[in-house]
Amino acid sequence: MANTNSYLLKVDDLKTWFPVRKGLMRKTVGYVKAVNGVSFAIKGGETLGLVGESGCGKTTVARSIVRLVPATAGEVIFEGTDVLSADKKRLRQIRKDISIIFQDPYGSLNPRMTVGDIIGEPLKVQKGIRGSELDQQVAMLLSKVGLAPEYINRYPHEFSGGQRQRIGVARALALRPKLVICDEPVSALDVSIQSQILNLLKDLQDEFGLTYLFIAHDLAVVEFFCDVVAVMYMGRIVEQADSQELYHNPLHPYTKALMSAIPEVDPKLRGKRQRLSGEVPSIMNPPPGCPFHPRCPLAEKVCEAVEQKLEEINGKRHLVACWKSREH
Amino acid sequence: MSDIDKIISSKLPKGRSLWQDGLRRLWKRKLAMICFAVILIYFLLAGFIYAAELFHWHVGPIQWQEEVGRQYESPGWKHVFGTDIFGQSVLRKMLYGAKISITVALCASIISIVIGVPLGAIAGYFRGVTDEIIVWVYSTLSSIPYILLILAFAVVLRDKALFGYKLTGITTVYLAIGLTSWVGICRLIRGEVIKHKNREYVMAAQSYGCSNSRIIFRHLLPNVFHLVIIDFSLRFVSFIHAEVILSFLGLGEATRPSWGAMINDARIELSRGVWWQMAAATAAIFFISLALNIFGDALRDSLDPKLRIQ
Amino acid sequence: MGDNGKLLSVENISTHFFTEDGVAQAVQDVSFSIKNGKTFALVGESGCGKSVTALSIMRLIAGPQGKIVSGKIVFDGKNLLDLKEKQMRNIRGNKIAMIFQEPMTSLNPVYTVGNQIVEAIRLHQKKGHEQAWADTVEMLHKVGIPDPERRVSEYPHQMSGGMRQRVMIAMAVSCQPKLLIADEPTTALDVTIQAQILDLLDKLQEQNGMSILLITHDLGVVAERADDVAVMYASRIVEVAESKFLFEKPLHPYTQGLLRSLPRLGISAKRLQTIAGTVPDPLHFPTGCKFHPRCPIGNSDKRCQSIEPGLRQVCDGRCVACWYAPGYKTEQEKKNTN
Repeated sequence: MANTNSYLLKVDDLKTWFPVRKGLMRKTVGYVKAVNGVSFAIKGGETLGLVGESGCGKTTVARSIVRLVPATAGEVIFEGTDVLSADKKRLRQIRKDISIIFQDPYGSLNPRMTVGDIIGEPLKVQKGIRGSELDQQVAMLLSKVGLAPEYINRYPHEFSGGQRQRIGVARALALRPKLVICDEPVSALDVSIQSQILNLLKDLQDEFGLTYLFIAHDLAVVEFFCDVVAVMYMGRIVEQADSQELYHNPLHPYTKALMSAIPEVDPKLRGKRQRLSGEVPSIMNPPPGCPFHPRCPLAEKVCEAVEQKLEEINGKRHLVACWKSREH
Repeated sequence: MSDIDKIISSKLPKGRSLWQDGLRRLWKRKLAMICFAVILIYFLLAGFIYAAELFHWHVGPIQWQEEVGRQYESPGWKHVFGTDIFGQSVLRKMLYGAKISITVALCASIISIVIGVPLGAIAGYFRGVTDEIIVWVYSTLSSIPYILLILAFAVVLRDKALFGYKLTGITTVYLAIGLTSWVGICRLIRGEVIKHKNREYVMAAQSYGCSNSRIIFRHLLPNVFHLVIIDFSLRFVSFIHAEVILSFLGLGEATRPSWGAMINDARIELSRGVWWQMAAATAAIFFISLALNIFGDALRDSLDPKLRIQ
Repeated sequence: MGDNGKLLSVENISTHFFTEDGVAQAVQDVSFSIKNGKTFALVGESGCGKSVTALSIMRLIAGPQGKIVSGKIVFDGKNLLDLKEKQMRNIRGNKIAMIFQEPMTSLNPVYTVGNQIVEAIRLHQKKGHEQAWADTVEMLHKVGIPDPERRVSEYPHQMSGGMRQRVMIAMAVSCQPKLLIADEPTTALDVTIQAQILDLLDKLQEQNGMSILLITHDLGVVAERADDVAVMYASRIVEVAESKFLFEKPLHPYTQGLLRSLPRLGISAKRLQTIAGTVPDPLHFPTGCKFHPRCPIGNSDKRCQSIEPGLRQVCDGRCVACWYAPGYKTEQEKKNTN
C-alpha cells in the first residue's frame, strides 16, 4: 500500500459495538461487537466485495461508513476526510458522494410516493432542483436503468421486484455519487432477474466510472462481480484477495468451507466437500482466540488462545488471518 | 434529451396510489357504502342545523323549544316520537341532538389527532429521552380510569375562560374528551413509526441527507396515516358515547337538547311508562354507532395494505 | 410407467385464487409423480406456483379465495381430494409431513420444542406421554441436535435458525411419514448451515425410505440432491426430467436461460447471460405459451404467441412443453409419421 492517495475509501480498524442494556436503569452490561476491527481500502473505479454469512457484520460495516449507525472507533477516510468525525455540513456533502442500494426491493421504496418522487428526492434535498428540470433528470435516470420514462407517475407496488430494484439503483445514481454501496442488491431477487441487475450495475460502472462496495452472502455472485473480495466472519475480515486469486487459492479454512458449501449445478465443477460442523457462535460471547476455532478442522492450541492478525501472505495482495495458513 | 423532453411534455399515465387502491376496494363493498350514506346523513343533518341557526331558517329542529302539544303525548301521526314533559317534540330534540353529538365527536377527534399524531411520531422516531417522557405522560394519563379523567377535566374546564373565550357546556365536553383520548392514537402511531423507522426506505432517505422533520412528515406520516383514519372511524363512536355519558351525568350541554340529556330526562320518565324519549335517543345513537363500526371495519380491510390478498 | 414404485401422482391439478381483482390461476394443469424413496424437486422462481402445488397436495389451500378446481392427487392408491376433512387430518403430519421455509414462524413460541414434538407424536400414535417424550429426545438426537436431553425443554427463541429447522424436521419425521414435503427448507439459512440440513435430509431419507418433495428456487440444490425434477414457470410445469439429464441438456428455453444466467464459481465472464423481461402477473398471463414474450424463439413465432404447448413426453422419461423442443410433436405430426 505505497500510494494511499489512489484509494477512494479507506477503512481503518473500524469498530461498531452495540451496547446491551439491562435492568430498570438501562445499565450497559456488555457489547455486541458487530464490527470488530475491520480494515480495507477501495481504489477508484474498483469493486470490493464483502462476503459472509448473516450476522457477520457486513451490513453494519456499510451502514457505519455513511454513519447510518454510529461507529465506536476507527477511521473511515473518504477522499482525504474522515467521515466519522465530519461535522453536519460535511457529512451532508459526503452523503452526496456515497450512496446506497438496499437489499429489499419492497422495503426500500416508500410505498406512498411515486417513482418520480422517489428518484427525484435526493436531487430535491441536496441540490434544490424542482419542476420540469427535475422531471427531466428523473426521466433520464429511468432510461439509464432500463425503465420507460413514462413510469414517472406510477407507484412502487405497480412494479415487479426486479423493476423496483432498478428504481432503487436509479435513486442511488441520482446525485452522481463516486462510491456506491450495494448492500445485498440481488439476494432478494429471482435468478433470472438477478443476472439482469448484476449486468446493469456493471454497465453503469463502466459508464459513470463508479466505485462499488458490494456486499453479499453469495460467494459465486461476489466472485463474478468484484475485483477484490474480503471474507468476513464474526465482525472481522478473515481473508482478502483479488477475486481470481481467492478462488484459485483460498487459504483460510472458513473461505474453503464457504466455497465448497455452494451447491453447484455442474457435477464436473463440484469440488471435494468440506463440511463445517456446528454453527456460528453467539456474537454476545465470542470464543477466545480465533473466533473460527470451534468450527475449524485445523484448529490447534494456539488458535484457541491468540487471534492471528490479518496479514499479507504471498506478495499477491492476499491477506489472511489464520495461524495455520502460513505453514503452507 | 429531446426524446425525454417529448415524453415529459406529453401527458403521462398516472399510477394508482395505495389510497386510490383502497378507496376503489371500499367502493365495491355495498354494506360499507350504505353505512357511509347513513353517516353522511347524520353529518348533513348537523351541518343543516348549523346553517339553519346561522340564517334563521324556520325549520323544525331549531324550533325544538316550541310547545307542539300536551305533556307526554305518546308517539303517533302528529308527533312521530311523542312529546316530553314540556310538550316539546321529541323528534325535533333528537334531530337537534345530532348537531351536538357530531360537533363534540368531530372536535374531540381533531384535538386528539393534533396532539396524539405528532407526539407519537416524535416519540417513535427519536426514541431515547424524548420517547420516555412522552410514554411516561400517556401512561400516567391512561392509568387513570377514563370516565373519571374526563369528568375531572370537564369539571375543571367548566365555565372557565380560555383566551378570553368562555367555555360553555359543549366546548367543555369536547375539550375534555379530546385532551384525554389522544393516548390511544399516540400509542398506535408511536408503535407504527418504530416499525417503519427500521424499514430501508427510511434509511435510504437518511443516506442521501434528508432532515429529520422531512423524514417524519414526508416519509413516515403518509405511511401510517391510513391508520389514523381507520382508528378514528372506530373511535368516533366512543366519542359520541362519551358525550352521552357526560351529558347524562349532567356535565355536558345543559341548555340545549342532546342525546345524553334526553336519556337523563328519560330516566325518571321511564318509571311512568314514558319510553319514547329514551327510545328516540337510543335509536339515534344505535344507528350511527352501527354504521360507524361497520364502515370502520370495511375501511380497515380496504386501506390497510397488510390485509390485502396478494 | 406402471403404478408400482409410485408413491404420489398428481394429475392435472389446477388451483385458482378468486381475488377482488380477478381470478389468479396459481396452478394450471400440473401433473407429476413421485417414486418411492426418491427425491423429487419442484423448481421455479417466486410466484410460479410451486408452493401452492405443495399446499394443494396437503389440501391446505386457504378458502374461500383459494380452491382446487380440478384434478386428482393419488397418494397410496387413494385420491386425496375425495377424502373427508377428518380423514385428511389423519394423513397430514402422519403419512405426509411438511417443513416450511421460515423456521422462526413455524414453531409456536410459547411452547417448548419438546412439547410441540410430543403433541405431534401423540396426535397420530397411541403413545403415553413418557414414551412420546423419550421418542422426542431420540428424534432430536437423530436430527443432530447436541445435548438433546437439555434442549428438549428449550423454547424456540433460544435456538438458532439452523437448530429450529432441525427441530422442524424432527417434528415432521417423528411419525415416519412416507412423503416429506420440504418447502424451501434452506432458503432462510446460511450456506454452511444449508449444507448441513440437506445432508441431514439425505441421511433421514436413507434411514426411513421416505420420498421427499423438495421445493426450491436454487438450481444448485436441485442438481445435488434431487433424483427427478420438474421446472415450473407461470403456474405450469414446462419440463420434467431426471435431474442429471436436465442439467446436462435442458430442453425448454426457460430452463436453458435459467442455467445460463447463474453466476458460477470459477467461471469468469465479463457479463452474465440473462432472460429478458419479467415473470408475468398471474392475473394477466400472456396468450399462447406463457414464456413467449421472454423467449428467444417464441417472441417472434405465431404459434408460440397463440397456442399454448402442453407437457408431452419427448423421449424416455423426459417431458417438455415447448413447440421447438427436439422430439416435440403434435398429435397430428405423430399420426403422419406412423
